[in-house]
Amino acid sequence: MTDPGAVPPTPPPGVPQAYPGGPQGWPGGPQAYPGGPQGWPGAPGGWPGMGGGPGGVQEAPEVRERQRLHPLSPLLHGAKSLAVIVAALSWQTLGRLGLEHFAIVVLVFAVGAVIFSAIGWWNTGYQVVGRELRISDGLLWRRNRAIPLDRLQAVELRRPLLAQLTGLAELRLEVVGGGKTEAPLAYLSVQHASELRERLLALSARTRNESGGDAGPAAAAATGTAHEHPLFRVRNQNLLISQLLTPQAFLLPVGVAWVVVQFVLEGSWTFIGIASTVTAMAGVLLQPIRRVLRDWSFRLARDTDGRLLVRYGLLETRSQAVPLHRVQSIRITWPLLWRGTHWLYMRLDVAGYAAPQQGNDAGSDRLLPVGDEATARALIGTVLPGTDLAVLATSPPPRRARWLHPVGLRFMGVGLAPQVLVTRHGWLTREMTLVPYARLQSVRVVQGPLQRLFRLATVYADAAGGRSGAARDRDLAEAWAIADQLAVRSRQARQAPSPAPAPQAGPPVTPAPFAGPYGTPVPLAPPPGPLHPTAGPATTGPATTGPATAGPAATGPATTGPAGEADDDAFWRRPAGS
Amino acid sequence: MSEPSASAVDPLRPWPDTVQWRPVSPRLVTVELLGLAVWQVILLTGLGAGWWLGGQRVWPVLMGAVLFLGVWRATVAVRAVRAWGYAERDNDLMVRHGLVIRRLSIVPYARMQYVDVTAGPLERAFKLATVQLHTAAAASDARVPGLPPEEAARLRDRLTALGEDRAEGL
Repeated sequence: MTDPGAVPPTPPPGVPQAYPGGPQGWPGGPQAYPGGPQGWPGAPGGWPGMGGGPGGVQEAPEVRERQRLHPLSPLLHGAKSLAVIVAALSWQTLGRLGLEHFAIVVLVFAVGAVIFSAIGWWNTGYQVVGRELRISDGLLWRRNRAIPLDRLQAVELRRPLLAQLTGLAELRLEVVGGGKTEAPLAYLSVQHASELRERLLALSARTRNESGGDAGPAAAAATGTAHEHPLFRVRNQNLLISQLLTPQAFLLPVGVAWVVVQFVLEGSWTFIGIASTVTAMAGVLLQPIRRVLRDWSFRLARDTDGRLLVRYGLLETRSQAVPLHRVQSIRITWPLLWRGTHWLYMRLDVAGYAAPQQGNDAGSDRLLPVGDEATARALIGTVLPGTDLAVLATSPPPRRARWLHPVGLRFMGVGLAPQVLVTRHGWLTREMTLVPYARLQSVRVVQGPLQRLFRLATVYADAAGGRSGAARDRDLAEAWAIADQLAVRSRQARQAPSPAPAPQAGPPVTPAPFAGPYGTPVPLAPPPGPLHPTAGPATTGPATTGPATAGPAATGPATTGPAGEADDDAFWRRPAGS
Repeated sequence: MSEPSASAVDPLRPWPDTVQWRPVSPRLVTVELLGLAVWQVILLTGLGAGWWLGGQRVWPVLMGAVLFLGVWRATVAVRAVRAWGYAERDNDLMVRHGLVIRRLSIVPYARMQYVDVTAGPLERAFKLATVQLHTAAAASDARVPGLPPEEAARLRDRLTALGEDRAEGL
């Protein structure tokens, strides 16, 4: 892992053309920086090593030299594109050209890719200026990006197999906006990447709580890795078993048998034919294997700054740091085939992750690949302080909704816990979504024509990730009440941002006018909820929602659902008295 | 207000006593109808050309379907425009719209990322504009069409000011 090129070479001073901005520096200028008291570090000279010279750097100690990525990066990119090239040429081409010519073609393309990436590497640079990370790249279309670090959502350090062999790593920053990961820095040496990550996270955290003072990112970087305490580790054995218990794993023998029968019947045992079929099938059927490789030795830890550190992967290791206040929602899933083992998996949503797509789980949104409910409870308690999975109660929609959902009705439910909105649904695969009120972006009430017939409506609670909590098919009056409660609670949660809200000394939130037609028709949230209609939302503020005083809900005799469903208790828990 | 009988709940008008809904400009009806007419002409011309060239039975049937849909859309346009409404509360903007599928969005000012004011050619001809509030959640849906320019500017400025005031973003 020790690499001679741990610190990428700084650009020679004689390459001013690398920055088209010229000596006037970054567009927008120092005065435009909207950030906190430190503001712009005051380097009017622009990019160091260009016009500002050493003077500018001395003035602003936080301006680091513009740095290049690791010199081995082009080679790795080229090697990575090798697979793409082979796939693009396809097996048919191999059959037509013969192995020798095929190899030559691939080689030509690969060399081209390496040269191309080398040009890209030469023109790519990054630099931490004040509280921004600036990345410039491109040869013909130059692009300079400034990423404000106070908007940083999560940082991931990814090491594909080749990078592991060469001691390199890719640093991926998640920021809001844009469907994909912005600014992957590929590749840096491992040591450099983790240092940079610590520095970026330290800078990002400092903007959040200014009280951290100017201890300096370097100090934080030095101490950051030392004080982390492990939370949880998934046993690889469980991971293997869990992935054997998937539809794909069950289908694999069927698929293999089908291929064999196909070839026996047709009698065509050509290598190309088999290879093509296997390639086509591998995409779907090997998903369990890919998941095992990806989630191998899954470890969770928490560092002193309250960040969640997630590490996993066998061939490609990923190490992700997520500040807890950036978690937008958590989704718990109980798959059908795991029912017997009482397992579930959890995903967390961070703004900036691409919206989750069906069947594509290349993202890094894992919180728990496989585990039991006790583990899930402990993890949720860590990630969303004050929330206890064991007491989250949900109530189902009114009876008349069964005309819309003849089967799934009793699997749907919603509950307003002290800190989070809980929604659940799913007949075979059961899902539960937790959206903290403090992260709500907007609330929507939608009523389709059929729902109108039955006086039902669906309430959506949108979070900044791709997922929304959806309270489906509630009674209309109840839907308005939920929407109202969500608006009020999210406002209160925003005003008391810490997980243990202090009593609001400020002006009361005056939710009284919006009390809404809440209440009597359908019992909703846990009865002792702090905003119970009879109590009046204005009188019981967020003061009662602290984790310590979540008592009423926590100690309430939450009833478990139908007998014999004890394998996923949390999914079935009803508010007392329903 | 206090009596929660379900029959009194109007799907488009929650909290009738406390929320002052503002309508959008009735000129939006004309804009919608004109837009509809333009699409009708384009579609019908295309289908008519197909009929003229091909001569199959499908074409007149399709034309009839398009025409029927157009007439139906035109009849509900007035009510659809009346269904649009927005309300500025102390802390959030509420937008409701839709006849078949009724939607209501509540977007806190604090969550505002940016405000869009757009006006298409037809809208401009009738001196209307659309204001859209964007949050970090892609699913958020707070769009108010058919605003007179001065009202659009006022709403934009107010939203921006309130958003800056309580900026939370994420």
